[in-house]
Amino acid sequence: MRTFLGVDVGSVTTKLALIDEGNQLIASIYLRTQGKPIEMIQAGLKEIEKRMPPGSEICGLATTGSARYLAGVVLGADLIKNEITSHAVAAMHHVPDVQTVVEIGGQDSKIIIIRDGVVVDFGMNTVCAAGTGSFLDHQASRLDVKIEEFGEYALESKMPVRIAGRCTVFAESDMVHKQQMGHRTQDIIYGLCQSLVRNYLNNVALGKEILPPVVFQGGVAFNQGIVRALDEGLKTHVSVPPNHELMGAIGAALLVHEEVEVEGIGTRFKGFDIIQMDFQTSSFECGGCPNNCEIAQLAMNGRILARWGGRCGRWEKMIEEELTIS
Amino acid sequence: MRVSFPNFSNIHVVIKAVARKLGVSEGELVVPPPTTQKTLDLGVKYSPVEACLPFKLTLGNLIEACEMGADTLIQARGTGICRLGYYAKVQEQILSDLGYNARFLTYDVSRNKLVGMFSLMRNLKGANWFRDIPALHFGMSKLFSLDRIDKAVRHTRAVEGERGVANQIYKEAIASIDGAENGREVKRLTRKYVGRLNSVARDPRARPVRIGVTGEIYVVLEPFANMDLEMEMGKLGVQVERTLSLSRWVKYSLFLNPLGIDEWKDVRKAAMPYLKRDVGGDGWESVGEKVFHSREYDGLVHVAPFTCMPEIVAENIMPSTKEDLPVLSLVFDEQMGKQGMITRLEAFVDLLKFRRRSREKHENFSGC
Repeated sequence: MRTFLGVDVGSVTTKLALIDEGNQLIASIYLRTQGKPIEMIQAGLKEIEKRMPPGSEICGLATTGSARYLAGVVLGADLIKNEITSHAVAAMHHVPDVQTVVEIGGQDSKIIIIRDGVVVDFGMNTVCAAGTGSFLDHQASRLDVKIEEFGEYALESKMPVRIAGRCTVFAESDMVHKQQMGHRTQDIIYGLCQSLVRNYLNNVALGKEILPPVVFQGGVAFNQGIVRALDEGLKTHVSVPPNHELMGAIGAALLVHEEVEVEGIGTRFKGFDIIQMDFQTSSFECGGCPNNCEIAQLAMNGRILARWGGRCGRWEKMIEEELTIS
Repeated sequence: MRVSFPNFSNIHVVIKAVARKLGVSEGELVVPPPTTQKTLDLGVKYSPVEACLPFKLTLGNLIEACEMGADTLIQARGTGICRLGYYAKVQEQILSDLGYNARFLTYDVSRNKLVGMFSLMRNLKGANWFRDIPALHFGMSKLFSLDRIDKAVRHTRAVEGERGVANQIYKEAIASIDGAENGREVKRLTRKYVGRLNSVARDPRARPVRIGVTGEIYVVLEPFANMDLEMEMGKLGVQVERTLSLSRWVKYSLFLNPLGIDEWKDVRKAAMPYLKRDVGGDGWESVGEKVFHSREYDGLVHVAPFTCMPEIVAENIMPSTKEDLPVLSLVFDEQMGKQGMITRLEAFVDLLKFRRRSREKHENFSGC
């Protein structure tokens, strides 16, 4: 059986999704990145190998997310795609008439406007993390509530408190204040959800025409409190698709499937051997000019695979030369 | 006297050419080091925090020039434009607080620009029409040459078969033009490099999307300020179109505007239903460019420095025009990460390709 793998390496979580030729999801993994993207890619790949149906092979692999270039080099990707396009493609696959995609992830949030099956506009948070999952994660630990239970608490709220949401610093001090005033934890939690949604609508979604159907995806969609606050904030039903947390990876897999079929090319995927490989990352300051670019490099078993981060391109070029010599 | 100036695109090539013909010796002209992270760090350190990116970068350039011994600095001034009008005064104060006693030679970019240009030259080397006019002419020939090569490289990057070839030729071209001794040589080199860029081996599968770049002129034209925006767009297979250029500015502001010829007439007219007046800087023209080019471009990238009032006005008017051209607004300051810009650019290019595909499908369908 021919299968296609999408790998979404985000700042907080790493997602892998395997689809078959009928674009059905057959295996998936959801891991915390914990600042170790390469180890998580290897761990995820190991799990995928275990769950692959016998006799199936990977015929195309795409990476997405903020570590898409790193992941692309480690895995040998056929396609490296930005997370906005990946999410849009996955949403259109699940809900063909979707007009608005709300995506809130660990460190960024997006809005994608779709009309007649075409992406016409998008927005991504620019200023701060106040509207994202990391913010909620942080506040949950401050309130001593598990992030998984955050949503349940929020739904119990009868009288949500209003919490300033423009900036995490204000939100946090306001929250502490409300705690000291004696408000119930449930009401504070739902107040936080509302403040996050308000922040999202006033920043990321500002000036965008939000029409139903609205699809809400990304890890934060696990949180029922946010779903409720979005419903109320948008005054329309917001649907959360199954596998909403995997949508980036699924979108990447769908895209690489299409590309492989159209181009008729073989995959560059390096195979499951890379689970055993030893990857090292390191960085240094170039020092070639006053820019002092920070160059990051990736090596496999002692051999340099890629370098990033230079303005002038001399380090990237050096790689090509080294590779042609060896 | 040791005279210097802030960097802006390739303006150092032009200023060197004019200065040489005016008889300013090598020792008298201090070319500031290329704008780098160090320049930005210096500018940020000594600027008010809310100043815009062009202020910080040009201040950094001037500090580096002063460190190299410059004592006379050329900077723009003007009225009714934007904060640029105050740059020279505030930077003069900051430099004097830092202990540099530099004299500012300011050039008014809001009126009498040709007269101002000659008085600037007179301030440098005394008046001599027989020397000044050919000097200005020579500088302008280099400026026009650079912009012609620039246009060719913007088109070649999108279609080159091997990545980076166009940039390599471009780098070589700037160095050669910089070294050219006379007008004939400049002409010959321009033909040579434009020809080389146009004959770069093409990727047969390349189908570039056409994206216009507009916005605040300094961030549009200075690659350090916009994080090599045009180069990054080229890597994504984008043919970059741009109305703004230094040569166009010089040609119209110095010579044709006084004769009543307005290069922005059509663009401003296009903006009229949405914005009826100048809002400072290049804001009016940005709105006009979206409307004016909506049929010609696939998309528009609108760039501005953070806190730039004219462009904030433009950015907020743009979505409401009935002319439907996708716009990506990018705001630049010292805090912005390049990866964020690239992610947005990639998504924007995908959006434009999807649009093109669905349009083509539609056209084929109605054709049957």
